Amino acid sequence: MTDKRIVIAGVSTRWGSELARTLQRRSGVGEIIGIDSTRPKADLGRTEFVEADIRNPVISRILPALEPDVLVHCGIVWYPEKGRPSRALHDINVIGTLQLLAACEKTPGLEALIVRGSAAIYGSAPGAPAFFTEDMARRFPLVTRFQRDIGELEGYFDNFARRRPEITCCMLRFGVEVGPGLDTPFNRYLNLPVVPTRMGFDPRLQLLHVDDATGALAAATMNPVRGAVNVAPDGAISLSRLLRLCGKPAVGVPPVLVSVINRRIGNYLGSADLYRDGELLLRYGRGCDNRRLREEIGYELAFDSEGTARDFARTSQGIQALFPSPHPGSPVRSVSR
Amino acid sequence: MSRPVAPSPEAVLEWASTVQSTSDLILRRLAGEYHEDAWGFDEEFTEAVFPIFEFLYSTWWRVKVEGAANVPGHGRALLVANHSGAIFPFDGAMIATAIQKEHPLPRWVRAMVLNWAFDLPFVSYILRRLGGVAANPANLGRLLNEDQPVMVFPEGQKGFGKGFADRYRLQRFGRGGFIEVALETGSPIVPVAVVGAEEIYPKIGESKPLARAIGSPYVPITPTFPWLGPLGLLPLPSRWRIEFLEPIDLSGYGPGSSEDRSLVFDLTEQVREQIQEALYRGLVKRGPAFL
Repeated sequence: MTDKRIVIAGVSTRWGSELARTLQRRSGVGEIIGIDSTRPKADLGRTEFVEADIRNPVISRILPALEPDVLVHCGIVWYPEKGRPSRALHDINVIGTLQLLAACEKTPGLEALIVRGSAAIYGSAPGAPAFFTEDMARRFPLVTRFQRDIGELEGYFDNFARRRPEITCCMLRFGVEVGPGLDTPFNRYLNLPVVPTRMGFDPRLQLLHVDDATGALAAATMNPVRGAVNVAPDGAISLSRLLRLCGKPAVGVPPVLVSVINRRIGNYLGSADLYRDGELLLRYGRGCDNRRLREEIGYELAFDSEGTARDFARTSQGIQALFPSPHPGSPVRSVSR
Repeated sequence: MSRPVAPSPEAVLEWASTVQSTSDLILRRLAGEYHEDAWGFDEEFTEAVFPIFEFLYSTWWRVKVEGAANVPGHGRALLVANHSGAIFPFDGAMIATAIQKEHPLPRWVRAMVLNWAFDLPFVSYILRRLGGVAANPANLGRLLNEDQPVMVFPEGQKGFGKGFADRYRLQRFGRGGFIEVALETGSPIVPVAVVGAEEIYPKIGESKPLARAIGSPYVPITPTFPWLGPLGLLPLPSRWRIEFLEPIDLSGYGPGSSEDRSLVFDLTEQVREQIQEALYRGLVKRGPAFL
């Protein structure tokens, strides 16, 4: 088997950079080329960098010239960042993906396309299945802008997969990621000194460890399967228990104040006007089935939801003196931050 | 007049150790050191509130149970029961309590709960910790494939919210979705007839404006609720009978049979008739509702 030429679109995002660094150490990987509109902040070693914006039609000339065997699309942005305001997200996520798919049409020899998508397509609803399987997408109306964007780009993706059956098209649906060093609105939320929760609700969450997020992405790149695959850990944990493990005091927000406080906090945490996604998730929670990831892609998860929570608790800055543990030996407390 | 007796040292020690273990438990839980399963079921929490159910079971409703051993002691099982209660689904709680108290190999039974209950504050997560799961075929199939005992109330809202005049008259059993899942997963069906739950909150009407105000699909009116406020939530002390019928084995139908509409409807009707007959039988055996 010859070594694969891998192109990573969105290589300057945290996930793109992590993937490039992980793949460099693997056997069976040939050249790695990263595309993005900005230079990656991290040192990417032997990964070549090509500056290009996937929103620009020029990508249709650049991509075929790179002659990729495998294309990994890590350029879907979940949260507004510096230089990427929330109104630009639709362009980046939907138009960018559309341009990239158009470029793939003109790239002969492409064997596989992997997209780092989102489990937001399942939504969060009170009567939802406890474990969404891949065929349950769009079962609930897509209510937030991010959900609709994901729904739209998955529609384009499915069309492409149907038109080009010779290319293995794999849509990875990532859930909430948590881990030391990760800077997303959800991680910032958990790091608040006092965490506001919706009074009377205790969502059931699945926490994907950052290491597993990168590991699963790399595993899917090496062994892509057709269709959608949930990237979700085993088990689930309730928000209240997560906060207790972190030693965080939670404050129940009464329903009349929820929308005001959530908008404020959403802004503060950097999710700007996309806070609705978090609001729904922190009300109803969500769980996904990970059978395809484990059995078909063959990735072994290192952490389950509880393990991720404990790992996060070890490194988070909780007010841990508030409730001294009756079990001094428990790993959560014994490792100082 | 008798002299006050000083407590013996043993009693003091025992009391002290109870206090210590309780405070230890509370501290441990506040530190998050407890177990929830992937569905959010919290066995420790369920055991902690179990004495309340036990009191209602033995003292308040004086529940009599027949055929508890018909519930399989291991492996998957689908318990199908009539539904009533109007305000709180105590029938489900009492079925679970009956299995805990009367079954030789007691297990906690998961319950399929109406979806809108998970939209109600506090109710949503308390139900989940007690083993409640949103009622849909995906959840039911997955639980059964995990070899859990699960109870369903196929009448759903129509049974739960029916008026007092319609008591013990089984409503339509949905579209028979539970039979489809039972056929797919090869789970035995245990029909359950609950007599007594219809009298705890005799529903005589509904309040549409109140329902709209709190966002609930309906708000029942009983002789005591909402007139007496929270006191009206106190269930009446009727006398209960729970009968577990012989399990119906569906494993002989084989795969693919769940798509046979007429078979599904026949089986649904068969289960429904068995429960209805058991209800009439149970009503006669029970006698007067409150004495």
